[in-house]
Amino acid sequence: MKLFVSEGNPHCLKVLAAVEVTGVHCEAQYVSHEEKVVPFLSRPALPALLLPNGQHLFSSNAICRYMFEVSGVESTELCNQWLEWEATDLQPALLQALHMTVLQGKGSEVSKVIQGPLNYLVQSLSKINTPYLTGEAVSVADVVLWAALYPILLDSGVALGEHKSFKLWFDRVNGMHACQTAAQKVLQGKGHECMKSYMQRQPAPQISQCRDMQPSNSTP
Amino acid sequence: MALRELSSLEKYLGLKKPNKYSTQGDKKIPVLQNNNGPPLVGLVTIACHLVKEAKRPELLGDSAESRAVVQQWLEFRVTRLDSYSKEDIKTILKDLNAYLQDKVYMAGNQFTLADTLIYYGIHPLIVDLAIQEKEQYVNVTRWFNHIQHYPGIRHHLPPVVVLRNRIYTSRHH
Repeated sequence: MKLFVSEGNPHCLKVLAAVEVTGVHCEAQYVSHEEKVVPFLSRPALPALLLPNGQHLFSSNAICRYMFEVSGVESTELCNQWLEWEATDLQPALLQALHMTVLQGKGSEVSKVIQGPLNYLVQSLSKINTPYLTGEAVSVADVVLWAALYPILLDSGVALGEHKSFKLWFDRVNGMHACQTAAQKVLQGKGHECMKSYMQRQPAPQISQCRDMQPSNSTP
Repeated sequence: MALRELSSLEKYLGLKKPNKYSTQGDKKIPVLQNNNGPPLVGLVTIACHLVKEAKRPELLGDSAESRAVVQQWLEFRVTRLDSYSKEDIKTILKDLNAYLQDKVYMAGNQFTLADTLIYYGIHPLIVDLAIQEKEQYVNVTRWFNHIQHYPGIRHHLPPVVVLRNRIYTSRHH
């Protein structure tokens, strides 16, 4: 299998961290943000994984799950739930937050955007008595959520000190050698500056509308 | 919407006693009250749980690779098909059409939960397509028609007419 990643792309942090944490043998190739790796997608999508059966994975969460499964750890229902929440609730807020921080220099306003999903995570963490999100051992849910939050919590104005259990969890995952290695590979120790060229190529985030509010384009 | 889907899925899976659901938040995310533990939240999470309850693990894929592909399309369903702008619709259909060119089902040659949930999610888009557009996205239409006739899947949704003969044969000129 072959993994395609690009420098400064925050989604690549997830998959590189999953490779480091699981120790799965996987060749990582660095390509430009514009590289079309997945043949059937009209927009370049990175990271991407070429599976041994010739199919491509273009979802970073699906790639992370696959890495854990190949290393012998199947995703539990609780893990599934965190991954679904990350994709549907956290990502839209993070995309907007990164856009504001990296491109508009409005890092100080970021907490407003991510407050909702962050509160949900903080509350969930204060209710559990395990060191990691889904139990005693680090799981795919910890890696995905850490990697999603890392770029925005990195030198931003979001204060973590008041959320004790959240800070403990984040620092625990962040302190893993595997995660630091992945962060160094993607962000080169340059922080937000490194994400600029990636973010410039993304469509500006819009407040997505619910389907029910869309006017139907069917002809009467 | 999501609750009707889950009830259709229960019927397809042959689960005898229906589960109790509620929804949370503005987006009406489904929640399943679970006797054996904390509630499960989210369409994909609950759907995967029902498949396991019905002891039909093959519907989630029969190898690590196909399980990953199934999960990817389930995520696609809840991230791309549950909220989209008008411009997104073309990209979604174009990409799916290219993907399905050499495939019978979403995960390749085997029917999985990804077919069920993408079918439920894409139904409103397909209903709105003009005949000419249905021909433009011929692989999507072929797959869609196959799934809507797949035994036990359609349930709460009306059938969509798909023409077998091309009307607009000159569209490339």
